[in-house]
Amino acid sequence: MTSRITIDVPLNRVEGDLEVSAEVEDGVVADARVSATLYRGLERILVGRGALDGLVITPRVCGICSSSHLAAAAAALDRIAGVGPPPNAVRVRNTILAAEHAQSDIRQSFVTFAADFANPAHALSPLFAEAVRRFEPFRGETVIEVLRQTKRLLEVVALLAGQWPHSSSMVPGGVVWAPGLAELTQARLLALGVRDWYERRILGCRSDRWAAVTTEAELDSWLDESPLHRDSDLGLLVRLCRDAGLDRMGRGPGGFLSYGSLAGAGEGAEVPAGAFLDGARSSFDEARIAEHVSHSWYAEAAPRHPAEGETRPYATGLEGGKYSWAKAPRYDGRVVETGPLAEALVAGHPLVSDLVARHGPTAFARQLARAIRPARTLPAIERWLAGADPEGSFYTSPPGVLDGSGVGLTGAARGALGHWVTIRDGVIERYQIITPTAWNASPRDDAGRRGPIEEALVGTPVADPENPVELGHVVRSFDACLVCTVHTVRRGRRVGRIRIGA
Amino acid sequence: MSGSLYWLQAGGCGGDTWSAVGADSPDLVEALRLGGIEVLWHPSLSRQTPAEHRRLVAELSAGERPLDVFCVEGAVVRGPGGTGMFDTVEGRPKKALVEALARRARFVVAVGTCASFGGLGGDAEVEATGLQFTREVRGGFLGADFTSGAGLPVVNLPGCPCHPEVLVGTLTALLAGAPPPLTERGTPAEWYETLVHQGCSRNEYHEYRVEESDFGGNGCLYFHMGCRGPMTWGPCNKLLWNRRSSKTRAGVPCFGCTEPDFPRPHPFFRTRNIAGIPIELPEGVDRAHFLAYKGMAAAAAPVRLKRRENRV
Repeated sequence: MTSRITIDVPLNRVEGDLEVSAEVEDGVVADARVSATLYRGLERILVGRGALDGLVITPRVCGICSSSHLAAAAAALDRIAGVGPPPNAVRVRNTILAAEHAQSDIRQSFVTFAADFANPAHALSPLFAEAVRRFEPFRGETVIEVLRQTKRLLEVVALLAGQWPHSSSMVPGGVVWAPGLAELTQARLLALGVRDWYERRILGCRSDRWAAVTTEAELDSWLDESPLHRDSDLGLLVRLCRDAGLDRMGRGPGGFLSYGSLAGAGEGAEVPAGAFLDGARSSFDEARIAEHVSHSWYAEAAPRHPAEGETRPYATGLEGGKYSWAKAPRYDGRVVETGPLAEALVAGHPLVSDLVARHGPTAFARQLARAIRPARTLPAIERWLAGADPEGSFYTSPPGVLDGSGVGLTGAARGALGHWVTIRDGVIERYQIITPTAWNASPRDDAGRRGPIEEALVGTPVADPENPVELGHVVRSFDACLVCTVHTVRRGRRVGRIRIGA
Repeated sequence: MSGSLYWLQAGGCGGDTWSAVGADSPDLVEALRLGGIEVLWHPSLSRQTPAEHRRLVAELSAGERPLDVFCVEGAVVRGPGGTGMFDTVEGRPKKALVEALARRARFVVAVGTCASFGGLGGDAEVEATGLQFTREVRGGFLGADFTSGAGLPVVNLPGCPCHPEVLVGTLTALLAGAPPPLTERGTPAEWYETLVHQGCSRNEYHEYRVEESDFGGNGCLYFHMGCRGPMTWGPCNKLLWNRRSSKTRAGVPCFGCTEPDFPRPHPFFRTRNIAGIPIELPEGVDRAHFLAYKGMAAAAAPVRLKRRENRV
């Protein structure tokens, strides 16, 4: 006889509020719904405000990707102003963005994601005691080390932007201030120090040795080569993921999207834009983005491009199958995931590509792509800082007044981030944001297709419904960030009771 | 000196949490250990299962388990139409949980401007409010007369985000039995009777009215660029951020993010003025004397400042 239960759980250690409703049949997830349960209405706050105000308001969309929102807002205004930032400003913007990414990647991998391995559900694993020793919240050796060391990357941001989070140092035409030799040198030393620590503690080897790991077989031989590799935080994370079966679960929809970011001034650290669908790369076309609302708490409408999107709330409980404040963005009609895994596949990263070719886009591949991304971003930070000329220009004053429409696309730590902005008569007329988590945690679309996290949950084994740690592993491999549910609502519309997991 | 702490994230961005994680000397983990603070729950960091967390909340709400400090980050979302259903937990409005735990805690701490005064959602459809203030008006979600178990009103730690040293210092003082004196806004005077302007490395430019009208320079940002440092209560330039700097030092005008009216409706990066003189003058300054002083100061400005030669 088939056993069928529904597990409704709020999941923490994602940013913001996410609730999962999973139907479990004979110990395996048969279907899942993911709900964003907080609605902040930030796009609406922007309409009618001053032309530059997105630079102040949008970083506050997200306390963990605030510089990414700033970068997207500034990029949209660059387009509207018709001025590109000078190379020095590009280097400073990239440094801020990449430092934010690197600290987020390391913290998410070894503080918020790895904590699940200290869950008693894994108590029988031979690695459990070591996982607890390193990854138990507030106490684990790695947790303490990571929090201490990653702060130095935020010092880099503060030297250039004044503070982290929530600075507004990027403006159309560049950055607000020219850092001097003192700041650039200090920032470079801090970045060097973090890279040295990341190599010693996280990787257990130098970056060039790690770069030689290009296949799954080479990953295995790297683990066997030295206790320094096997027992590094990354080595342990790899072993824990495999031990828990994450290399066999959490397969996403198989479509991937990257808007591209960190285009530099010749330093070669650019993250390419592109799509990766059914194992094939294609160029990115912004016009192919559309947002669906059939399963989101908004009034019915056909799928629309964000530059024409509208947001009319229609909170109805589960009536009509609506269950989330997130809309469902789709690319070229496809369900796609975004984030470090997508970036690695679009860029053709050899190890990540090999793992996905062999086993599909598993929770392990997704998490590994994030944990190893700093091996690329940290050296790039050093190059940008070394290339910035303290005597050069960091800002080009835009001619005339800001007027018109522009889109700012970038990569946040969690993936593709876009701001679609229209300015009229010095005032924001329209502001639409699609965050990475809007892609990854999206609900079903008009065709009833599940969002990426929902799709990844299907097929996940759940041993103990009272402690469904497997759901946590899969959802957290996406590094979801739900505070970004930014869409607009208007007062006085019909609003009914909203029930989750009923 | 010891106690338990429950941290709730309501209508916010998580920035106060990540700011707190940046605490330094002592860092956050050290500060918790040294202060004997047991974190019962933090949404971004704790590992308990959903079932364990439900039990914890039930015990705390029923008063079966003592709660010393209740920290709230983010505004209390009351919309739509007072239902609170724009921010739910397991189908119920989160504001109900805020109320239940606030009634049980010895101390209630509003971490950040949204929790203190409403912040970003304060004028919007989500009907956000602070715990005990809505903008400048005392009352807010818990009411003007609310006091926590220890007899204190809500302790407001505004800032977008809240400075980590302010948070750690306040928690330590509360649990040591020496609550810091509060201002009329419910903020600890120790940190909020300092203006952001104090300690800004552009102060000499300010003194001599060497003012910028575009980005990129070393001069003062108050006259034209919208800097609110001289009117904003907060320790940004005393404590500095991430051990290193502050927005104003790095050329970003102060937006007044510790104030009850943040975000103000007027455009950022621009000073509202009449004939080139700011409408809002530094806190407590007399306009006539200010105009006379600024005229003379500009005339006395040394060439090195006019040429923006001094680094900031």
